[in-house]
Amino acid sequence: MIQNIKIHNNNFNLHPSGAIFWQNKKMLLIADVHLGKVSHFRKHGAPVPANAAFENLEKLTEISNYYQPETICFLGDLFHSKLNEEWQDFEKWVEYTKAEVILISGNHDIIPKYLYEDLGIKVFDELLLDGFHLTHHPTEIKGTFNFSGHIHPGVRMRGVGRQYLRFACFYKSENQLILPAFGNFTGKHILKPSERDEVFAIVEGEVICVSKN
Amino acid sequence: MKQAELISIAENWFHSKDWKSFPFQQKTWKAFLDGKHGLLNAPTGSGKTYALWFPIVLQYLKENPNYKTKHTKGIKAIWITPLRALSVEIQQAAQRVADDLGTGLTVGIRTGDTSQSDRAKQKREMPDLLITTPESLMLLLASKGYDKTFKTLTAIVVDEWHELLGSKRGVQMELALSRLKTVSPKLRIWGISATIGNLEEAQDVLLGMDPEFRKNSVLIKSGQKSRIEVRSIIPKKMETFPWRGHLGLHLLEEIIPIIKASKTTLIFTNTRGQCEIWFQKILEKHPEFAGEIAMHHGSIGKDTRLWVEQAIRNESLTAVVATSSLDLGVDFAPVETVIQIGGPKGVAKFLQRAGRSNHRPGEPSVIYFLPTHALELLEASALKRAVKDEVVEDRIPYLLSFDVLIQYLVSLAVGNGFFPKEIFPEIKNTFCFQGITEEQWNWCLNFITLGSQSLKAYDEYKKVEVTPDGLFKVESRQIAMMHRLSIGTIVSDSMMLVKYVSGGFIGTIEEWFISKLKIGDSFVFAGRTLELVRLRQMQAQVRKSTKKSGKIASFLGGRLPLSSQMSKILREEMQSEADHKRNTPELKALSDIFDRQERESIVPGENEFLIETFKTRDGYHSLFYPFEGRFVHEAMSSLLAYRISLLSPISFSLAYNDYGFELLSDQFLDIQTVLDNNLFSAEYLYQDLQKSLNYTELARRKFRDIAVISGMVFQGYPNKVIKTKHLQSNSQLLFDVFRDYEPDNLLYLQAYRETFEHQLEEGRLRQVLERITFQNIIWKQCEKATPFSFPIITDGLRAKLSSEKLADRIKKMTLLLEK
Repeated sequence: MIQNIKIHNNNFNLHPSGAIFWQNKKMLLIADVHLGKVSHFRKHGAPVPANAAFENLEKLTEISNYYQPETICFLGDLFHSKLNEEWQDFEKWVEYTKAEVILISGNHDIIPKYLYEDLGIKVFDELLLDGFHLTHHPTEIKGTFNFSGHIHPGVRMRGVGRQYLRFACFYKSENQLILPAFGNFTGKHILKPSERDEVFAIVEGEVICVSKN
Repeated sequence: MKQAELISIAENWFHSKDWKSFPFQQKTWKAFLDGKHGLLNAPTGSGKTYALWFPIVLQYLKENPNYKTKHTKGIKAIWITPLRALSVEIQQAAQRVADDLGTGLTVGIRTGDTSQSDRAKQKREMPDLLITTPESLMLLLASKGYDKTFKTLTAIVVDEWHELLGSKRGVQMELALSRLKTVSPKLRIWGISATIGNLEEAQDVLLGMDPEFRKNSVLIKSGQKSRIEVRSIIPKKMETFPWRGHLGLHLLEEIIPIIKASKTTLIFTNTRGQCEIWFQKILEKHPEFAGEIAMHHGSIGKDTRLWVEQAIRNESLTAVVATSSLDLGVDFAPVETVIQIGGPKGVAKFLQRAGRSNHRPGEPSVIYFLPTHALELLEASALKRAVKDEVVEDRIPYLLSFDVLIQYLVSLAVGNGFFPKEIFPEIKNTFCFQGITEEQWNWCLNFITLGSQSLKAYDEYKKVEVTPDGLFKVESRQIAMMHRLSIGTIVSDSMMLVKYVSGGFIGTIEEWFISKLKIGDSFVFAGRTLELVRLRQMQAQVRKSTKKSGKIASFLGGRLPLSSQMSKILREEMQSEADHKRNTPELKALSDIFDRQERESIVPGENEFLIETFKTRDGYHSLFYPFEGRFVHEAMSSLLAYRISLLSPISFSLAYNDYGFELLSDQFLDIQTVLDNNLFSAEYLYQDLQKSLNYTELARRKFRDIAVISGMVFQGYPNKVIKTKHLQSNSQLLFDVFRDYEPDNLLYLQAYRETFEHQLEEGRLRQVLERITFQNIIWKQCEKATPFSFPIITDGLRAKLSSEKLADRIKKMTLLLEK
């Protein structure tokens, strides 16, 4: 159910939750959780089921228990909007987790940096690590490999008899890998891959390579 | 003044115009002045406005004998019209009467098109008669002090009630009426409806469940029969006439002489896209019409629409290509000829369109029918029969539409606020919510106050608040504003404004169409070729393009399924074809195609159910022909596909049109197993439909409207782009969240119920399944696509169903790559 890929002699596990585990660094990469989105909607009068808010943190706990990472790096859009009640739950989660937590700031991350830093979370705009470039927006710098989020990538598949299905996916091109959105209330943006791109779709708890190469 | 005196005032006015009042008008005047409620059944162009506006005026004269010298302030009546386009016409007629009689009464319009300053003026002083739409009335109920404003109301007239009845706007109307009954003690409720199959029910829905209202009401029928003559445009060369398609452009030249021979012609199309294309093509082939023909559909800017309507009235246009936006009410006396392009799918709709032409007494209205593909000639033949036999459809009212109820409750909370104890009995008295339980009612109250059914620790949910003395009220100005903006969005898809870069508004267009275009692409909209310059918020800025042609703007929705009445007649026509009677010009013209169908398969009679199978490079096709309309076929195809998939893992692509449906698979399907396993059984229908994947997809689509109406998705408003930062979501996402976390949510469940009752037309589906048990099932294994199958496999709408494991299916699928 987990796909293992190798990039520049480093090993990465693509997990069906949408997270990537970087074995060499014992680092978990997670993009676009959009915590607080459910509460944000509720605060503005849209009654999205409140239970949906709690599952993101449960999922985070589950995956960090599974991999026991040394570092958890969020690739942006950790929180959806302004501070709200979900922050308290997040605080508890940070306290509980043993790993070091890093946030690469995304366009949705408007919560002041010092609040993160008070929790011991380091906040960066980008991070360069052993030739791997961690960002929120997909970015290309020569000679580095880029991990990013932001896009919420998805693909459309066509079957015989004109069937169509859509899936969230890990989207890899030559020097870049875009992670799917980890959050459960996020949606996806359908991309059209070129022949050279590699696409790993998330299908009912499995990560499946759906591209040809 | 006595009643007789009052009525003579009306009669004298008719005499002064050299007219004579009709018996149905006199009956309505009397009933109204006697204090009755009622439903008036009268066709367009019959003088129905006078039937109800006169007694309102007379009632005022009666209560204010010194009306000539002193005008009594306060609103007297509300006139509800489903389409903004109709309001001007009604205003002119009403004002004329008011002025001629020297009453000093004023007539005003309030719709989405009314300017902010006019609204404010109306708020200070209401006109005596207010012409408005259901949405705008709802907005009035969402303003403070509405109860004082409406206290003086003596009447509310719901025009074109048949149009509202089968829609959620009808529910909106029922709820508004339930409130007005309380705040306006002198209120009389009247509806005006064209002929529909269930007039009595229409009256009940309008008046609600109070026995007092029902007892004190009348149903008045105008008794006027509209004489209608249907002429089919039959292609001269049937051999080259296509078997599929829905545009009908092959016959364009045939309508040119018809247009030229009459003063004004209305050309009705079924979709806005088709409307655009026809307009474009007529001008391309016949540039001599430039400036003499125009186009009218719901997406075109208001100014243009009003201009077109005025131009029809003063006879300055030769022809207008239109959609259902011109179906209703407005009386266009100069229209001599009506052309219908493509099957109208329902008799009532067809009659309504035919009725747009030539209201000269004694002469029949003529309507030409232009088929878009060969088999539609069969529909033409059936339509003629339907018109002759006066068959009309029912309009099915909605039941327990919780989304509309929630919208209504929040509206009241935005306005004065409400006490549940006072509102619940009113709700319970409406037709729609007669069956609501206390639990469901409390659910709704919890939903708008807590956003769920139980109070959770530090939840910040905010919408309606409850004051210490129990008043339900919206305190937040932002929530109030967002709610008001969303009231008008019952008809909803994300719309974008189309504007010239230099300013100048052209119309609105579905966002998904624009999103397919790249900057610099050209497209045809509102009869103009435009180039997309940039996208700004919800605006597409364009300039005139020099290119000859571009993508034609396409629009979702609009295509109606064949009604059950039409289906029945269609099957009877088929029988006559099976008997080789060929006794109408349409059937004669079709003889080659039917001969070919008989050679390769059969033409099924009424007691036969035809199944065809054949193989193409797309896969194995199985076609079924119940002739029962698209919606029923959609349901039936997913039902059957699901049941087959229980036998062995298989994936299908489903296609359907009004005549039949197709199951397409990559595996051979043995029809004999379908028959042996009795898969057409009506048993376990609900359970099986619910389990078919397609059912969820349909419910998901229904949920879109529900989410918008109940205020869960905020779309902004076409004309007022306001910042909704971090609040964008879509109903798809919400649907999934409800499925996973709150599957007992009443709104989520409503999506399934609506799908079952309205989309899948459960009742008709059962009838088809029962019919099949009595029919001879004929399975034909054909060499290739037959004439009947062709339109389905090429033009049909598509859906999918599978019982294979998703991962297995993926392995057979291919990734969609960039072209």
